[in-house]
Amino acid sequence: MIRTNRRKLALTSAVLAVVAMTASSLPAQAASDPGVTSTSIKLGITVPMTGIAAPGYNKIPGAMKAYFDYVNANGGVNGRKITLVIKDDQYIPTTAVAKANELILKDKVFALVGTLGTASTKAISASTQLAKRGIPSLFVNTGFSGFADKKAYPTTFSILPSYQMEAKIMGKFLKDKYDGKKLALIYQDDDFGRDALAGFKQAGVSFTTAIPYASGSQSLPATGAGWISKLKAAGTEVTVLFGVSSASTAALANAYAAGYKTQWVLGSVGGDATTIAASNKAYVPLLFGAKGFSFAPAPSDSADEYVKLFQSIYASAQPTQTFDNNVVAGMSNAFLAVQAIKAAGSNLTRAGLIKTIETKGASLANPFLTPLGYSATSHIGATGYWIGTYDQTGALKPDGGKYTVYTTDSGNGPVVESSYKRPAMPAKGLPN
Amino acid sequence: MLKKHPLFGFILFGVILFLLSNRVDELRVFQGATVAIYVIAIASIILLTGYSGQVSLGHGALLAIGGYAAALSRNYWGAPVWLTFCIAVLAAALGGYLLGLAAARLSGPYLAGTTLALAIGLPSIANQFSILGGEQGLLYDIGLPPTSLGADFTQYKWYFWISALAALVTIYWLRNVMNSRYGRSWKAVRSNDVAAELAGINVGRNKVLAFTVSAGVAGLAGALLAMTISTVSPGAFPLALSFSLATGAVLSGVTTLGGVMIGAVTLVAIPEIVDTVVHRFESSEAVANNLPGLLVSTLLILTVLFVPNGPVEQMRARHEKRAKR
Amino acid sequence: MTQFIDMLLIGIGAGSIYALMAIAMVLVWRSTRVINFAQAGMALLSTYIGFELVQRTGNFWIALPLAMILGALFSALVEILLIRTLIKHSTTGPVAGIVPIIATLGLLGFIRATIGFIWGNQDIQIQPPLSKVGFKIGEDTIALSPMNLLVLLTVIGMVLILGFIFQKTSLGLSLRASAYSPEIAQLAGIRVGAIRTIGWAIAGAAGAAAGLLQTVNGTGAVSPDSLEFSLLLTFGFIAAVIGGLESLPGAVLGAVVLGLVLAVVQIYISGTLVFIVAFALLLLVLLIRPQGFIGAKAGRRA
Repeated sequence: MIRTNRRKLALTSAVLAVVAMTASSLPAQAASDPGVTSTSIKLGITVPMTGIAAPGYNKIPGAMKAYFDYVNANGGVNGRKITLVIKDDQYIPTTAVAKANELILKDKVFALVGTLGTASTKAISASTQLAKRGIPSLFVNTGFSGFADKKAYPTTFSILPSYQMEAKIMGKFLKDKYDGKKLALIYQDDDFGRDALAGFKQAGVSFTTAIPYASGSQSLPATGAGWISKLKAAGTEVTVLFGVSSASTAALANAYAAGYKTQWVLGSVGGDATTIAASNKAYVPLLFGAKGFSFAPAPSDSADEYVKLFQSIYASAQPTQTFDNNVVAGMSNAFLAVQAIKAAGSNLTRAGLIKTIETKGASLANPFLTPLGYSATSHIGATGYWIGTYDQTGALKPDGGKYTVYTTDSGNGPVVESSYKRPAMPAKGLPN
Repeated sequence: MLKKHPLFGFILFGVILFLLSNRVDELRVFQGATVAIYVIAIASIILLTGYSGQVSLGHGALLAIGGYAAALSRNYWGAPVWLTFCIAVLAAALGGYLLGLAAARLSGPYLAGTTLALAIGLPSIANQFSILGGEQGLLYDIGLPPTSLGADFTQYKWYFWISALAALVTIYWLRNVMNSRYGRSWKAVRSNDVAAELAGINVGRNKVLAFTVSAGVAGLAGALLAMTISTVSPGAFPLALSFSLATGAVLSGVTTLGGVMIGAVTLVAIPEIVDTVVHRFESSEAVANNLPGLLVSTLLILTVLFVPNGPVEQMRARHEKRAKR
Repeated sequence: MTQFIDMLLIGIGAGSIYALMAIAMVLVWRSTRVINFAQAGMALLSTYIGFELVQRTGNFWIALPLAMILGALFSALVEILLIRTLIKHSTTGPVAGIVPIIATLGLLGFIRATIGFIWGNQDIQIQPPLSKVGFKIGEDTIALSPMNLLVLLTVIGMVLILGFIFQKTSLGLSLRASAYSPEIAQLAGIRVGAIRTIGWAIAGAAGAAAGLLQTVNGTGAVSPDSLEFSLLLTFGFIAAVIGGLESLPGAVLGAVVLGLVLAVVQIYISGTLVFIVAFALLLLVLLIRPQGFIGAKAGRRA
């Protein structure tokens, strides 16, 4: 009798599962690409909205939506309004794949945009077979150089410069400016940090002290203090922080507590003063005099036409949130996507969009101060950095008063000063 | 007839599933594969905790061993897919054996805490050795479905067939194991290990065996999981996975295999249902971000409070009460 | 030599932070024999409440005791609503082991989501009440600041006060008896249910202090999914196990040992091994001396 009940339940649950699976419609036959009609375009993004990686990054979708709403309120793109479907992947690749499948198969988005995280992007691309389905994955939010490889990822487009590029450019700067000084490097012990090491090696920089930290350990009590103790013992004069924001915060705060003075050089990932301020505003003055690297205009540079526009759009869309690098990143991503969609014309198809970015992408209007590298053979986005110094308020001001951009590649190419002039912003920042 | 020939029941269920996979859309097929994988993983926990009485909060680490073993053997030795699964099972079983040796002397919070620390510590090893691919992970490509199945046989259907077959075979096998003398000896040790020892059961060996078998099964689940996302990376086996599996086991009823589907389906269905409910109402970001977590946690707490032994045992208890009247 | 002293101070400083969490865990374990993930959630909630209190009163020294009281109350409430129902409904056996864990895990998720809903998913900041700049000895700044000292003193104070309560008062005796053998304690006339609630309340207060102090001693920032909190919970647990789950001084000793070992690894070996070493240390202790440094050989299976 007991057995009967158990079996009954097993059977019931099995039937339930079967019913659940059947209770969904069969795919409809699509004449045109999914996600696009004559009046609308649906885009999808998977990003950590909750979970350990969420603080900071979870502002990106809101920022993107703010720009899309602005465009929609002013006529849309070629008469189409853009909807952004946001899915929380908690920075876990399995969840990212599940959510991407929902976006592609259930929400039927036209394209993915701004996917965040190297492992998640890799998993999504492989598992959902983006290439085979021809689904564009625009402007992924990761510095992994592999996504720029058109053969491996034919429908994926990078946007951020790779970590290697940044390290090469930073390396040249260190050699030029701090030749002969004792250099130290604090870096994350994973692909992010190792890509940087490769870049520094290519630039021919040698560090007296190189301190790797296990990802996550920067938040432990002893870690930052341990770094400073080592740096003090080595008599370091210039310290490069090539980690995440929490690592920069740990280093700055512990240096202050230990009365340790050094010339800080911050990488772009961990160098956003507003993110550091979100952690503790008392740390911002500690940045004064530090060097920073970026490829977009500084969020504090209200004289820049793009920053001014973004600030006003964001202020009305999200009045309670602070305007920082994450917001600039999100809105720039959205801006470029809109420009690309506009350039692809009224007859909007996935293949057409991909072709448009390959042929016209490098000349599309965008907020970045470095040239974009999109071409028929490469899906590289931004290719360089400008160097600045932080003032007392944490604003990064370009050295020499104007944005001087240095570009390079992820391979053995040299670092050169670029003569790129950013094209003027279209009127009101709209796709006219 | 089903009672006398359970094998027939399994085969029948398998045929139904396969027929169904041709009639539902891609998303459901993919979710079906995920459910099958959870079934295997939850079963491994039911064996270890429900039958052998050892609590593990770090089964994600065992899945990780399986996943990485499969990926490495495929990438570096070019092993055929079925062999990579076997290697995954063996590698995870070995890991389980070692863990079992360490764990046999522990109990209660010590065991749980150790498995927890393992779940947190193991993924970071991937960053130490470059062969393991680091944070960005390794690719694990099991290839396209065989052409004999037809041109429009999708990749996800192929994953579903493989996972579902693996799940059916595993559950059938586990069922037999749990009804065998091994299963009975596990239950004996769980209820009263002193008495079991007196009855001639080697408690230590018994516990280690449970760990080994449970780990092997978990390793298979890990390899299948890696198959569905076509990659392995530390992030794919986070602490949250270990917790989800433990939760699924409790929701199924941790002492019996009968309800394992319930836990697996719940783990896959609830997040999606909650997401849909939340998206139906245009709400602020604070709500959209946190309501899913809130609903899931509340459901979990309520279920655990009022159906702590799982639905199967609950029904049996009610039946027994009724029979006694 | 300076680096050696630095390392000692850093290790002890970190150890005192782990000790705060370890004490809270040992308290819960000794009062109720439950592994309590909700402890982390309640410490987190108490930290947020502390944040609100600091905002409103502008004074950390008022906010801290108030947060501890509220933490105690909330903890007692959880015990009454959740734990008692759990114990009533579940049977013995494997279910008794894993079900409370899952329930408290659910509670943690519930608390996190609620916090995210009320205060948002971004970081909030609490400024430290004391300076974090190290004391100066002559020209050198050492790795000990007023804030470090505050944490150390709090840990010592907690061990003394709680130790006194547990060993020298009848309340303490009731707490220990109820946890060790509830049936016999009940026969002896102890109201086990009420005693357990009190035990949870004390643990809630300790957890609140731990949460607030470790936040201001760190960056001062906390968010619902704060990595720091999760890490500190794990390390607090490892510390408690190393020292022996049964003893408060043991928890502190374990924490200091952990802090020192990690500081040595950090400074003299390589920072990348921190997690692996912590886990290896845990495993080592469990294999060689499972009852911890200070722990009587288990007469009863935990």
